[in-house]
Amino acid sequence: MIILKKIFLFLKRESKLFYSNIVDLFSNILFFFLSVFVFIFALGADEQLLKSIGVGIIWSLLLLSSTLSLRKFYEDDFKNGVLMIIHMGGMSYELIVILKIFSHFLFVQIPFLVSLPIVGIFFNLPINEVYNLVLTFFIGSLILSCLISISASMNLLNKTNFSIGSIIVLLFSIPLIIFSVGINSADIHFNSLINLLIGIALIFLGIAPWSSAACIRLALKNK
Amino acid sequence: MLLINNLSFFRNDIKIFENLNLSLANNQIIQIKGTNGSGKTTFLEVLLNILEPKSGEIFWKGKNIKKNIFDFYNQTTFIMDQNTSTRKLTVLDNINFWRGLSSSKLSNDEVFILLKTLKIEKYYDTKVMYLSSGETKKLELLRLILEQKKLWILDEPYNHLDDVSIEILNQTFIDHINNNGMIIFVSHFNPTISNLEILDFN
Amino acid sequence: MFSFLLNPSRFNKLIDIIFRPLVIITSLILIVGLFLVYYSPLDYQQGFTVKIMYIHVPSAWLALLTYAIMTIYSIIGLAFKIPFSFIINKAIAPIGAVFTLLCIISGSMWGKPMWGTWWVWDARLTSVAILFIIYLVIIFLNQTFENREVKERTIAIFILIGSINLPIIKFSVDWWNTLHQPASVSKLSSPSIDLSMLQPLLAMTLAFSLIGLIIAILRIKAEILLRKKYL
Repeated sequence: MIILKKIFLFLKRESKLFYSNIVDLFSNILFFFLSVFVFIFALGADEQLLKSIGVGIIWSLLLLSSTLSLRKFYEDDFKNGVLMIIHMGGMSYELIVILKIFSHFLFVQIPFLVSLPIVGIFFNLPINEVYNLVLTFFIGSLILSCLISISASMNLLNKTNFSIGSIIVLLFSIPLIIFSVGINSADIHFNSLINLLIGIALIFLGIAPWSSAACIRLALKNK
Repeated sequence: MLLINNLSFFRNDIKIFENLNLSLANNQIIQIKGTNGSGKTTFLEVLLNILEPKSGEIFWKGKNIKKNIFDFYNQTTFIMDQNTSTRKLTVLDNINFWRGLSSSKLSNDEVFILLKTLKIEKYYDTKVMYLSSGETKKLELLRLILEQKKLWILDEPYNHLDDVSIEILNQTFIDHINNNGMIIFVSHFNPTISNLEILDFN
Repeated sequence: MFSFLLNPSRFNKLIDIIFRPLVIITSLILIVGLFLVYYSPLDYQQGFTVKIMYIHVPSAWLALLTYAIMTIYSIIGLAFKIPFSFIINKAIAPIGAVFTLLCIISGSMWGKPMWGTWWVWDARLTSVAILFIIYLVIIFLNQTFENREVKERTIAIFILIGSINLPIIKFSVDWWNTLHQPASVSKLSSPSIDLSMLQPLLAMTLAFSLIGLIIAILRIKAEILLRKKYL
């Protein structure tokens, strides 16, 4: 079908963009590693301490590192009008948002996923905690991408520098962190917590396209 | 085929334009003129359903465009004031993207001939950010022929173009008109095209 | 019949008629409620401190009710494009914030002597704190100098996204078994609270909601006058 061809075309363009800007991605991951180092040295590099609070610190730093990619989610495409052209090419704004979230998940969050076991080694985490971390991040990064999409689209509307976007990402990722970190201490309820995470991911996958598309339409009106 | 009926648009309760009636049929070309800030670009945005009019309807082939906007978009090419080419990708990448988006049936050879006509064929593998502003504008105008759509809507197409390119653009317009096409464009510049109708926005 | 909820001029006309009587009735109910609280029985375990409940519970209910009203008006404003709903959103946001703050402060003042702690990170307290932060963000957004239409719609979208917090607050005491007391008053079953305590509770709830209503009316009138200047 024609729409499938267009979806592949859009994803191919996104992949080309990410590849041409790969330094950006690597510097984000490097930022994440450096912030982990800062935390380790701030806490005194004590092995037992790191093991007990490691997962929580890793999650908080993942969150903050992901807000780095907030700015370039929609801004370039919006500024030079490509968003409008893609819309006129036959894809509704909601579809564009879903594809953007998916490509962000694929090209940005998966590299972070790969670097998680390495960070786990720095914190001397036991292997089952690393496994839990990777699994919860796999689902949680989808939620993070949805939140980043919502905040980036709200940032489009703001010509002043009030970063409402970062506030939104942090605010709604509090339940995500509660469940992802709590999963380590709740061995009996493992399945239920995973299901809860998947449920939250599905809720946000429903909310994000609608609200991001609404904000994009609003921003195009008031360019 | 394009019928605009009693269109009016207010921004923050200030009247931009009111009681605008326009009809455009095959083989017709209309230029929109006016002083800076008289609402020409706003009119294009209302026409393309980016902005909501206060009153009035726009009909394409007899149907209200709000009922099925993608039918209207499917037969329209919109060239804005900004350059919508992705600066970090090459010229060829951008062309392939536009081709696929509009399901154009142009072959690679024909694309190359087009690049040659506009004298930018040596850039086909360079990133757009290395082109000058005039050459980027020429790439943008390439979209008109790539997408093979019926209605062309352009906002200030003659900016940044050298004399040769202005002539090529005029010829392209005339060819499109003779092939049952329709063109609406906003410009300060007065091109020498016969049968040009003018809508003055003062 | 309910057009005064959607139409500013009908709203103004109705308010001109009922405002004075409303203030008088509210003061009466408040005085009656305070009397009932004074004469309400002491808890056998907590003693006098239980009377904080008569401030804590009504303000909690009203914090949630205000947000629910804002959610409904956001839906009306975005879907049916009625501008009055955005005026109401802007007006009642600080009222909800104050009720939430009152709930949190009275709750922690109650908690220290009773359960030994000012604050604990259980589900209900955390989600109420998040509700307060959401109210704060809405108030901040209202103070920016953006284009008014963009501002209103962004806030409405944000309210809708944050409305996911309401069921979490409501059902958190059922889903997680932690420090906070489970719900005692619910429509589906007869309340598990004694009548002599229920009466002052309902009276104070009514008084608080009428006070909130009066402040909301004043703020909405002020907002309408402010916008008349632009129209």
